[in-house]
Amino acid sequence: MNDSFTTKHSKTMPVSRFIFFSSKRRSTDAFNLLKRCHPSRRVQTCNYSKSSGYSNGKTRIHPVIPVETRAPRSWGAYVIPAAILGFAGLAAFVHYNDERRAILKGQGSKSGGNTVRGPTIGGPFTLIDTKNQIVTEQDFHGKWVLLYFGYTSSPDVGPEQVRIIAKAVDILESKYHNEILPVFVTIDPQRDTAAQLRAYLREFDSRILGLTGPVSAIRQMAQEYRIFFKKIEEEGDDYLVESSHNMYLLNPKLEVARCFGVEYNAEELSEAITKELRSTPS
Amino acid sequence: MALEAYASRNADTVHADVLSEARQACYKARDAFYACLEKESNKTPTEIASVGLLYPSDCKGSRADFVKHCRASWVKHFDRQYCRNQRVQRLLDDKDSRRGPLTLPQPYTFKPPS
Repeated sequence: MNDSFTTKHSKTMPVSRFIFFSSKRRSTDAFNLLKRCHPSRRVQTCNYSKSSGYSNGKTRIHPVIPVETRAPRSWGAYVIPAAILGFAGLAAFVHYNDERRAILKGQGSKSGGNTVRGPTIGGPFTLIDTKNQIVTEQDFHGKWVLLYFGYTSSPDVGPEQVRIIAKAVDILESKYHNEILPVFVTIDPQRDTAAQLRAYLREFDSRILGLTGPVSAIRQMAQEYRIFFKKIEEEGDDYLVESSHNMYLLNPKLEVARCFGVEYNAEELSEAITKELRSTPS
Repeated sequence: MALEAYASRNADTVHADVLSEARQACYKARDAFYACLEKESNKTPTEIASVGLLYPSDCKGSRADFVKHCRASWVKHFDRQYCRNQRVQRLLDDKDSRRGPLTLPQPYTFKPPS
């Protein structure tokens, strides 16, 4: 009986001490206390049961039960303050983080928020145009460029997109008086030679600049511009190229301003381009 | 440099079957073939086209025309597209014929038992 009292005492003492400390320290202290209590309790019970094991069984059973029923309660008493502390710590951390990241009103980022927020698309490239001259990205400096990655052997989507580009350039020039350079980069350099590109693009618009090159250069440019392309249905020399049909609008600083998918027709495209041209003061 | 080598190597081969004229001819043949399919849709399809499309033997002529004017990969592409559209159409049509307009139970006023 005496021992049971002492065990109870040793439980309540650490608990009260813990609550006293809880306002200042973290829950690690509680866990240390908890850890310290456990072995001591185990030692106590071990010793106790061992020592009284030789006496009659009644006295052995009797103290075991109170210890067990007491165990969950004290364990629970440790957990709740620990949880509260942990939650308070987390809230403090989140609040601190918010304050650190806060952008005061009126001082937002200088890019206005609707330009490219994702990975920086674009990069240097060196390709050949339809006149077999080398073209690099420096040639696009200072001009607005509408960049399309396609291939001449596309059954329906490719020609449709190029037609839309040609028409949009026409609308831009006639209605909005904006100059823009359309560029068609082939993702099928194996079959699309410079002559092929010339013959193909001539039927749409003579202003479209066609670019091709060795496979490695094309692949590097496609990687920089995040273009996916893959040969499918390959039967020797006859294959289709699956690609993400995206048109990129590059501003004169060679940054990607916008990206257009296949859902844009010529009028919408020209309108959107004009909006971009007007919104950027460069 | 690699670029000059590339430029000099594949100089002048122009695949004319993807230029505008050939494309238009291909589209025309394709439309003719699919129109034939539509027209003869009540006949059982016996011939194999490609990628799982079947067509009745009456359309053999337009099929030969189609295959002649278009590249093989284009033929497969158009066939696949046609199958996809057919499936969507079938879904839309079936829904109408199988179930009529759903009749919801008429709202009734609950009369408290009194």
